[in-house]
Amino acid sequence: MDTRSTQLLKGTLDMCLLATIAQRPCYGYEMVQQLAHQGLDLVGEGSIYPLLSRLQLLGYIEGYLVASRDGPKRKYYRLLPTGAKQLEQWQAEWERFAQAVERILKGERSDEQSRPAHPTTDR
Amino acid sequence: MNRADQHTQQQIADLVEACMGYWELRGIALESSTEMQLELEQHLQQAVSDGKSLEAVLGPNPAAFAEAWAREMHPRFWRGGARVLHGLVYALSVVSTTALISQVLAHSPSFTFTVLAAYLLTGSGLLALLLQLGGFLSPRISTRAGREALMLAGVVLAVLVLRLARMKVNWSMALLSWNWPMTILLLALAVGLFSLDFWRTSHRERSSSATVSMPTLRSVTMFVASVAVFDVMMFVASVAVFDFCRLALRLV
Repeated sequence: MDTRSTQLLKGTLDMCLLATIAQRPCYGYEMVQQLAHQGLDLVGEGSIYPLLSRLQLLGYIEGYLVASRDGPKRKYYRLLPTGAKQLEQWQAEWERFAQAVERILKGERSDEQSRPAHPTTDR
Repeated sequence: MNRADQHTQQQIADLVEACMGYWELRGIALESSTEMQLELEQHLQQAVSDGKSLEAVLGPNPAAFAEAWAREMHPRFWRGGARVLHGLVYALSVVSTTALISQVLAHSPSFTFTVLAAYLLTGSGLLALLLQLGGFLSPRISTRAGREALMLAGVVLAVLVLRLARMKVNWSMALLSWNWPMTILLLALAVGLFSLDFWRTSHRERSSSATVSMPTLRSVTMFVASVAVFDVMMFVASVAVFDFCRLALRLV
């Protein structure tokens, strides 16, 4: 993944993780696999853990240990009601942001800013 | 398990141990750091079995990863004291038992704590810490022997620099000197602090679901054995290291 994509992902990874957990409770490696499946390859997979701890401290998610048949317990994360509300808010913010960026990239102009494409100098 | 697998498993174990040591130093509560360790180890195991490198998980700098995670855990300042208390118990136990053995063997009422003893005590503590944190170098220097060689080279370099700076050390210089009552007092203090540390650990383990408590007798025996081994090493080293340092400084 190139540097620009990495930077873009950095700012949105917490939201992506929250959205992934919202689908169903999962553990760290599972989240990385799901993100990769959706086309988001992380440069350092471990970078999800500090973010998961932050989300947990904020009360958006909750971690719990699940006994495993073929090894030690595994830590799963599930969404909490506060996290669900926050995710809705983040999604709305993201849609507004993404739409604005898309408009700019497509060269669309808003009505207030409509002016000639090539401004002329006063003589 | 083939040799390559064993090698990778060792790398993972060293890295996880280094992270755990770092989190303890940063004052993360044991129950939290144990869960973090568990998550990291399982992630690394699964990533390696999927053909990924350790760097793909931890990035180019594992220490930065450990710090980034620790920062998000908001440790309380006093929690860092747990590690300090543990180190103090160990240092006090070694010093008091060394004094006791010396006084008994020499039939002398006094014990002298020399510069060499202080150097050996702090040096071995620092070395134990560095060896643990040296696990961060696992993705770059994969073998433990390689990392130990690097640290040894660092020590030799430090001796050379000190020698070039014309620094002279009187190893037999007495830092402190005390009699029987003080030795007994130090020993009693060590036992008291050990009990406090042990009570604190077992109390926390009872309230945590993540940790498995070690039986009392086993943990006490292990502690006493490690102090005894350290005492023996101090006696051997006080002769061997003294001669080695004197010879090394003469040769350089």
